[in-house]
Amino acid sequence: MIEVEIDGKKFQVEPGKMIIEVADQIDSGIGEIPRFCYHKKLSIAANCRMCLVDVEKSGKPLPACATPVTDGMIVRTRSQKAREAQKAVMEFLLINHPLDCPICDQGGECELQDVAMGYGQDISRYNEGKRSVKDKNLGSLVATEMTRCIHCTRCVRFGDEIAGMQELGTIGRGESTEIGTCVERSLVSELSGNIIDLCPVGALTSKPFRFSARAWEMEQAPSIAPHDCVGSNLNLHTLRQKVMRVVPRENESINETWLSDRDRFSYEALSSDERLLQPMIKENDEWLVTDWPTALTLVAEKLGKIAQEQGANKIGALLSPSSTIEEIYLSQKMLRKLGSNNIDHRLQQIDFSAQDSMPFYPGLPMSLEDIETQNTLFLVGSHINHEQPIAGYRVRKAALLGCSVFVLNPADYTFRFPVQDKCIVKPSAMPNVLAEVIKVLLEKGIEEPVAGLRELVNAVQPSEFAHTLAAALLTEGKKTIILGAIAQNHSHAGHIKQLADALAKMTHGHVAFLTAGANSAGAWIAGGIPHRGANKKNLTHPGMNTQQMLEARLSAYLLLNVEPGLDCANPLLANQAMSTAEFVVSISPYFCHKVASYSDVLLPSVPFSETAGTFVNAEGKWQSFKGAVQPQGEARPAWKIIRVLANLLELPEFDYQSCDEVYGELMQKVAENKADSHFSLSIPSYLPQTIVGIERLTEWPIYRADSLVRRAPSLQETVINDSPVARMSLDLANRLQLSADCHVIVKQGEGEAILPVELSDTIPDNTVYIPAGFGLTAELAAPFGAISIERSDS
Amino acid sequence: MMNKLKHFFKKFLLWEILVGLKLTGRYMFKRKVTILFPEEKTPLSPRFRGLHALRRYPNGEERCIACKLCEAVCPALAITIDAEPREDGSRRTTRYEIDLFKCIFCGFCEESCPVDSIVETHLSHYHFENRGENIMTKPVLLAIGDKYESEIAKARETDAPFR
Amino acid sequence: MPEIRNYTLNFGPQHPAAHGVLRLVLELDGEVIKRADPHIGLLHRATEKLAESKPYNQSIGYMDRLDYVSMMCNEHGYVLAIEKLLGIEPPVRAQYIRVMFDEITRILNHLLWLGAHALDIGAMTVFLYAFREREDLMDCYEAVSGARMHATYYRPGGVYRDLPATMPQYEKSGWRTEKQIQELNANRQGSLLDFIESFAQRFDGKVDEYETLLTDNRIWKQRTVDVGVVSPERALALGFTGPMLRGSGVAWDLRRKQPYEVYDQLEFDIPVGSNGDCYDRYLVRMAEMRESNRIIKQCVQWLRNNPGSVMLQDHKITPPTRTEMKNDMESLIHHFKLFTEGYHVPEGEVYAAIEHPKGEFGVYLISDGSNKPYRLKIRPPGFSHLAALDEMCRGHLLADVVAILSSQDIVFGEIDR
Repeated sequence: MIEVEIDGKKFQVEPGKMIIEVADQIDSGIGEIPRFCYHKKLSIAANCRMCLVDVEKSGKPLPACATPVTDGMIVRTRSQKAREAQKAVMEFLLINHPLDCPICDQGGECELQDVAMGYGQDISRYNEGKRSVKDKNLGSLVATEMTRCIHCTRCVRFGDEIAGMQELGTIGRGESTEIGTCVERSLVSELSGNIIDLCPVGALTSKPFRFSARAWEMEQAPSIAPHDCVGSNLNLHTLRQKVMRVVPRENESINETWLSDRDRFSYEALSSDERLLQPMIKENDEWLVTDWPTALTLVAEKLGKIAQEQGANKIGALLSPSSTIEEIYLSQKMLRKLGSNNIDHRLQQIDFSAQDSMPFYPGLPMSLEDIETQNTLFLVGSHINHEQPIAGYRVRKAALLGCSVFVLNPADYTFRFPVQDKCIVKPSAMPNVLAEVIKVLLEKGIEEPVAGLRELVNAVQPSEFAHTLAAALLTEGKKTIILGAIAQNHSHAGHIKQLADALAKMTHGHVAFLTAGANSAGAWIAGGIPHRGANKKNLTHPGMNTQQMLEARLSAYLLLNVEPGLDCANPLLANQAMSTAEFVVSISPYFCHKVASYSDVLLPSVPFSETAGTFVNAEGKWQSFKGAVQPQGEARPAWKIIRVLANLLELPEFDYQSCDEVYGELMQKVAENKADSHFSLSIPSYLPQTIVGIERLTEWPIYRADSLVRRAPSLQETVINDSPVARMSLDLANRLQLSADCHVIVKQGEGEAILPVELSDTIPDNTVYIPAGFGLTAELAAPFGAISIERSDS
Repeated sequence: MMNKLKHFFKKFLLWEILVGLKLTGRYMFKRKVTILFPEEKTPLSPRFRGLHALRRYPNGEERCIACKLCEAVCPALAITIDAEPREDGSRRTTRYEIDLFKCIFCGFCEESCPVDSIVETHLSHYHFENRGENIMTKPVLLAIGDKYESEIAKARETDAPFR
Repeated sequence: MPEIRNYTLNFGPQHPAAHGVLRLVLELDGEVIKRADPHIGLLHRATEKLAESKPYNQSIGYMDRLDYVSMMCNEHGYVLAIEKLLGIEPPVRAQYIRVMFDEITRILNHLLWLGAHALDIGAMTVFLYAFREREDLMDCYEAVSGARMHATYYRPGGVYRDLPATMPQYEKSGWRTEKQIQELNANRQGSLLDFIESFAQRFDGKVDEYETLLTDNRIWKQRTVDVGVVSPERALALGFTGPMLRGSGVAWDLRRKQPYEVYDQLEFDIPVGSNGDCYDRYLVRMAEMRESNRIIKQCVQWLRNNPGSVMLQDHKITPPTRTEMKNDMESLIHHFKLFTEGYHVPEGEVYAAIEHPKGEFGVYLISDGSNKPYRLKIRPPGFSHLAALDEMCRGHLLADVVAILSSQDIVFGEIDR
């Protein structure tokens, strides 16, 4: 510890800290030192010179951001010398700045304005012409006005250090310095929106938000991101009952100061034209707008009738994994009181064989921050940067700190972090690779955790990857196996999960699940699953899971913010099941034509911005939020809809007056009966065979993941948004005599779709990547499994 | 004694009343100070703050760039602006409304406008016949600006050295 | 024996002599006032609370609307408080302009008071004459600020614009000959200062005219002399200020006792009364108009000889000129920030008072260092005057209530705030 004095105040600090860090400490009592290029999360560039301060015994002022404190140092941030230096720098920065404030979106929240007001002089001494710089097109999310740039290089450093992609750079020197992409292209980082926040001036602004509101007129409401299991904290900025933009809310343990593009720009869908604003009922195949009592009474009558005449187990509910925990809790309570256990939120999954050995909820057995401290990370079937961008950033931080990251994937995804070793195999070969690793470990003398494991893996031939990974897993330190979306949605997801469990047990590591939707963990806790009630309550007669519900062709389906053709693993089956059902109720914020075609009643619910609720993130953190704006039109929060529906069904104990009461009831259950997260280790009875021919690989692309993001036009226009294609390797295309400009007919069971071919070297041989979440690919069946492909002549 | 006598007579003869009547009588024959409104009008300062208008550039392009300074500075919150990029990419208002029931005619909007778009004109004689007419919409404001542009421009020019 | 009860009478809030929205509950014994209970609050607009949610400058316009017959004086009190907190002083020329317009405002106020007071007591003519002179002063208001009443002209750091170099003129009409128009425009040929000077030259004569009509008039005297007498001690104890206090013989005037702006460099006297009755208060106000006119003449003289800036040249507080704003970056930024966020006022609290036409108008301002007042408290002179109405009215006849009330010069804009 050394002692420094800043503005007459003495501080005991660790050596090596910069002056600005000491001054920035909360309660330091020192007014802000002006800065542009310095940012606490980025490396130090010291190129704006705005933070010049007066350091005793130094002839000239020194930059506070790049001057480490020394013992006995005396710093004055407000002395005549410091002020003059700051004033001079400010004057220089403004020489070339255009007179854009009135038309600049940054106006009012601009650091340049604020610092000019606070530290600059009040009148210019220059009347020379100003330089101008050509604007760059950075895609549909970030608008540029490069003449305003002051070359702080925060955006450049963000790309290098945080996003892990060198997308922007400085070109030229001196007055002709420019920030740009060198070759004109759009940003592909899934965190690119953060440069909007970082830019201290109006050079980089939000394109969807462009010109629509001023910082000072909006109201800020805290909320939680509704797309992934990270649960990023965010602020909704609203103006006249409309969400105008979304900005991150700093939470060091979750999203730090960042926000993924999906969370940032999906707000566009909140005021989409497709919002369903009135309850509607279908009469003679025509949609009639009606009022709530009529619609709800009809639903209650129908459900009651079906329950009475055909049995309650002919009723099933599909819930979006991004529903709030209150909505899920009430849905399952209603259904179970009605007598049916057919409820599920795992829409994208097809293999539920390991569901009984699942923990209380699938998630991280550690905190998000702890990812950074892992020594070995093994990603299985995970496109983490697209699935949970912020978790991907955490993995990047871990990798930069020396963590070895191993990957087992059915496609060679580009990660934003260095990968130690990767194994890219056909989807059906994935369980085998895990078995190989286990075999290597057993060969190395590790005891088998469950009897029979040795026998199971006996036949496999360990690859080099298996050896490397096994070696890494055997080293000291913390290790975690992360099962991503592909591992969970896999047709042998149970096998993968059980093998991963065994692997973790043998190496004293953990298994982590990064699940789909914002609230999968909450859904497990609240009982949004067929085999357990709320708070892991044991059921004598488990209900049907998603797949069974669809196969069983139930009489009535209740859809909670689900578009079965786009959200379900088997869209073909889902659409068929819905079409043949006697009665389908859709509670959704949006009007979807496909859903409307087979629904009988549409009840307008609201998105997360208009209701109170709680999301439980992967680390098990319960994060509640309140509605930021009033529900639009006649739409009402889903928990209220379900509560009234339950009343009309004359079910007991549905007297909630507020969302808090529902939360309280569930919280009490969880607290009273501390759930046992211990589960027994089991192993599969066989190893699945690798499919010989062509097989399908499916992912829900980053911007097709849920009904909200699918309706955000700016995200749909980005380059990383997938399109419905059949992506395959060049080898396979050559064998099938296909080229990049032709279409193919993809056949899978009864399903058939015509898709354009795309060639890619990231896809292993005999594998065709076909994304889900598109109308075109909704004609196909399961996400994995054998398919046939032939050239389409049309 | 003399004073008392004087006082008595003055009191007796209603002296101060007569003096007053003389004064008022004199004014009876003077020219009236009133003017014949509406045929005649009192002089109006070029600084007069009356009804609002939105101006255009000589080439017909509207001046307003939706910077929202007037909306921000309006103490009565009488101005409501919605903005978005126009087809050519420029920043424009889609809604510009002034609620005249809220407006206190302080002139801050005009002071704040960086492009001399919103102005308070010399117009002080206006009325509403229907509900809702108190809210001046963008077309109405632009129409006033178009109609009185020469007067508006002249008044701004006269006052330019003082602003 | 029949039951004898006091008669309760609601005087206002719609009574024309109740000065706006005063509701005065009078308890009468026959025609004698037993108790006068003023009810206030019907014109409450929460000005003080509103000010807490706006940047400092945005509340200036609301100060005009406090005492809406002495608009600029209210602004002055508020602006002075802000300046005190900011520790700035406007240029001398701005100070002279402020003083000149304060005095113009005082005349405006007293003229309205005189007209209304006379009208309440039954003299019609004075009201018309007073409004004739008010018209000229309103023209001065309009020439300088653009509004005849709610000027929003004073700003922390000076005044918004310098005095105009020309006066608007009457235009030709079918109803008057060229010569008549010329006559009307005779005093409008030069600058505003010339116009004010010509007004000042003739105004003393006008005051003489009012006095001819009223001062010696027997009815006037019967209605005002020995009505509503307040002793100097009671006047002090009741918190009287301004002409109400001076009418009782206490020579207290903030312009002399705690000089602000340039009052210490100007010559004027403080008129005081001797009996403390309505008549004395009338005399004091008449004399004050003459004194104000004297000050105006001195200001006109000084302003003629000393051109210069009327606004502090510190653009951290005062916005730059329009030309600067359109041409250089620093000025544009300051313009933008000043009109959206405003300036930040250092933490602290301050009380600033001015000699308002009605008495001491004080502004107590607390700043928490932000761009909006943490708390604004206005001390309106009329409030304590109205509070003494009961004491002043007791024992008088019903008709005297009107005389006493109007001699207090009550305006509800400031009392209810």
